[in-house]
Amino acid sequence: MNKRILIVDDSFYMRTMLKNMLTDAGYEVVGEAANGQQALEMAASTAPDLITLDVILPDNTGLDVLRGLRQQSPNAKVVMCSAVGQEVIVNEAIENGALAYIVKPFSEERVLEIVGSALRGDAA
Amino acid sequence: MTAREQEYRELFMAEALEYYESMSRHLSELERTPDDVPALNELFRLMHNLKSNARAMGHTAIGEVAHSLETVFGLIRDRERAFAGPLVAVVFTGLDELGAMIRAVGADQPLPDAAALLDNLARVARGDEPVLPAPAPADAEAPAEEDARKLELSDLVYIQVRKLDKLLNLVGELVIDRDRILTLAEEIGHPALQATARHLFRISDDLQYSVMDVRLVGVGVLLNKFPRVVRDVATAEGKEVELSLGGQDVQIDRNVLQIMTDALLHLVRNGVSHGLEAPAEREAAGKPRVGQLRLLALTERDDVLIEVADDGPGIDTEAVRRKAVERGLATAELAATLDEQAVWAFLFEPGFSTAAQVTDISGRGVGLDVVKRALDSLGGQLRIASVLGQGTSFTLVLPTSIAVKGALLVELDGRPYAVPLLHTDTVLALRPDEFSVVGGLLLAHVQGQAVPVVPLRELLHAEGTEALPAADKTLLQGPQQVLVVNYNHRRLGLLVDQFLRQQNIVVKALSKPLDAIDLFGGVTLLGSGQVCLVLDVPALTRLFVARRA
Repeated sequence: MNKRILIVDDSFYMRTMLKNMLTDAGYEVVGEAANGQQALEMAASTAPDLITLDVILPDNTGLDVLRGLRQQSPNAKVVMCSAVGQEVIVNEAIENGALAYIVKPFSEERVLEIVGSALRGDAA
Repeated sequence: MTAREQEYRELFMAEALEYYESMSRHLSELERTPDDVPALNELFRLMHNLKSNARAMGHTAIGEVAHSLETVFGLIRDRERAFAGPLVAVVFTGLDELGAMIRAVGADQPLPDAAALLDNLARVARGDEPVLPAPAPADAEAPAEEDARKLELSDLVYIQVRKLDKLLNLVGELVIDRDRILTLAEEIGHPALQATARHLFRISDDLQYSVMDVRLVGVGVLLNKFPRVVRDVATAEGKEVELSLGGQDVQIDRNVLQIMTDALLHLVRNGVSHGLEAPAEREAAGKPRVGQLRLLALTERDDVLIEVADDGPGIDTEAVRRKAVERGLATAELAATLDEQAVWAFLFEPGFSTAAQVTDISGRGVGLDVVKRALDSLGGQLRIASVLGQGTSFTLVLPTSIAVKGALLVELDGRPYAVPLLHTDTVLALRPDEFSVVGGLLLAHVQGQAVPVVPLRELLHAEGTEALPAADKTLLQGPQQVLVVNYNHRRLGLLVDQFLRQQNIVVKALSKPLDAIDLFGGVTLLGSGQVCLVLDVPALTRLFVARRA
């Protein structure tokens, strides 16, 4: 069974690139959310196995969305995406239950490695 | 550059310009209200995205400037710096330079040097005084100012398919008139007119292909929806399925893909529910528990092929043969003579199967007539391959575009008719003694197969529900021109007066009252100005099967 992934990022370019990488690797991208509210709605309706979550979303909601997701969809694994310079938020995210983080700009190998190990349950 | 790289580049540019415009707006808001927190948050977020995207595209210089500006916005947001004094000028200059850098990327030009800007941004971040240029005389500064503040619009436009349809129809009309003018120019023989007509020919050809090109999309836009479909059907049916996709970059007309959407959905659902066995059954047959389903698009000459293949039990040909007889689709005698391909074709006949037989392997035909109807409406074809115990593959053969069709022109009773090449098999000239008559049917032997032959005239003039007249070999005089057409693995020979030529035609819908006659798929105008009816091979084949003597 293909693992199902929800992508949350406010950049269409970034979502497209992530989607292509994940789809090419055989994952099923079940949705793409561009803001926090969409992310929570899509997570509820699609019940993904894993969510990639951009730390900086419109209305400054990255961490709030993470907390909402942990409550609403506790089975979904969350991997944070962030560019360098956001280490403080990333650490807070890990404390709030995110499993791993991917640093932008990301390489295809790195994305697949982190997503793969998060899904298997290893530490990244 | 690959299609995907090109796509990334276009997305990056469109989004970067959008970010730049939004940031310019928010910066003006900030200038009016220096403690506007939402504006600051947006500036920070957009700059952060621009930085990430620029780095992913390898535009490190843009990434660096964006990073420095993001840092400054972060400091203002955290109240460590105020949006006031010389910092304001540095930030505005920074955003302008960033805009110039984005434009340079879009124009494939070298990026302006940002060393002085980066130095100033580092200074204001540390709280030091920036090095600002001495104010230049007002008249010398004006042009540079104007250049930096150009208004930018996105390079991408979104177009409704309806508008593209209209454009394509207009091009179709143009192509017909062009052929007419070209023929007239040759007839009149005026050299300047001929040269102009030939030029018109090249331009409109170019225009036609450009319009067709705009309508192309990657097959992936449809294929990528299937992992979800497969998962849902597999869960509902207790199957374990691994889906692999390929050829997402293959290009096809958007409307062709739209028309095939339901058909493909049926084939894929069918592939999971009937094409693959339950896990226990697979293990008992010595196969891996997880069934494989493959969706693959590829190009073959001017056509696009979409294959749906499984590694399931294969088609039980004898079961399908029995059922076709039970359902009255063929007599027992006829069914016994059909080869595998012809038997498999029954799966796609309306009424072959009903929901009551869904669990039966031979019951795979549920709803598959949808596939046939969609293919017929496009002039597409279906290929089936199956090995008992190993799997089945269905391949949809689709035209890349619906605008132009390759056709063979034939003549009957002094009138031209066009037959789409997708349905033509071969052309033959046979002597009367090379035909045989069996049970009132005229037969020709084509590549070791007996193919029924009928005069096209009899099909076109068939009236009411009367049976076609019984074949009479003695009526055949001299060499006979036979066009062998192919539909749903059924071959039929049509007797015509002569073969004219092969050419690309633009098919137009028939106007009333001709559209009541379902033997014609449309009409086209030839360069001579002559109206030419396009024969609908599926309809002719059905008529022949229903009315044969």
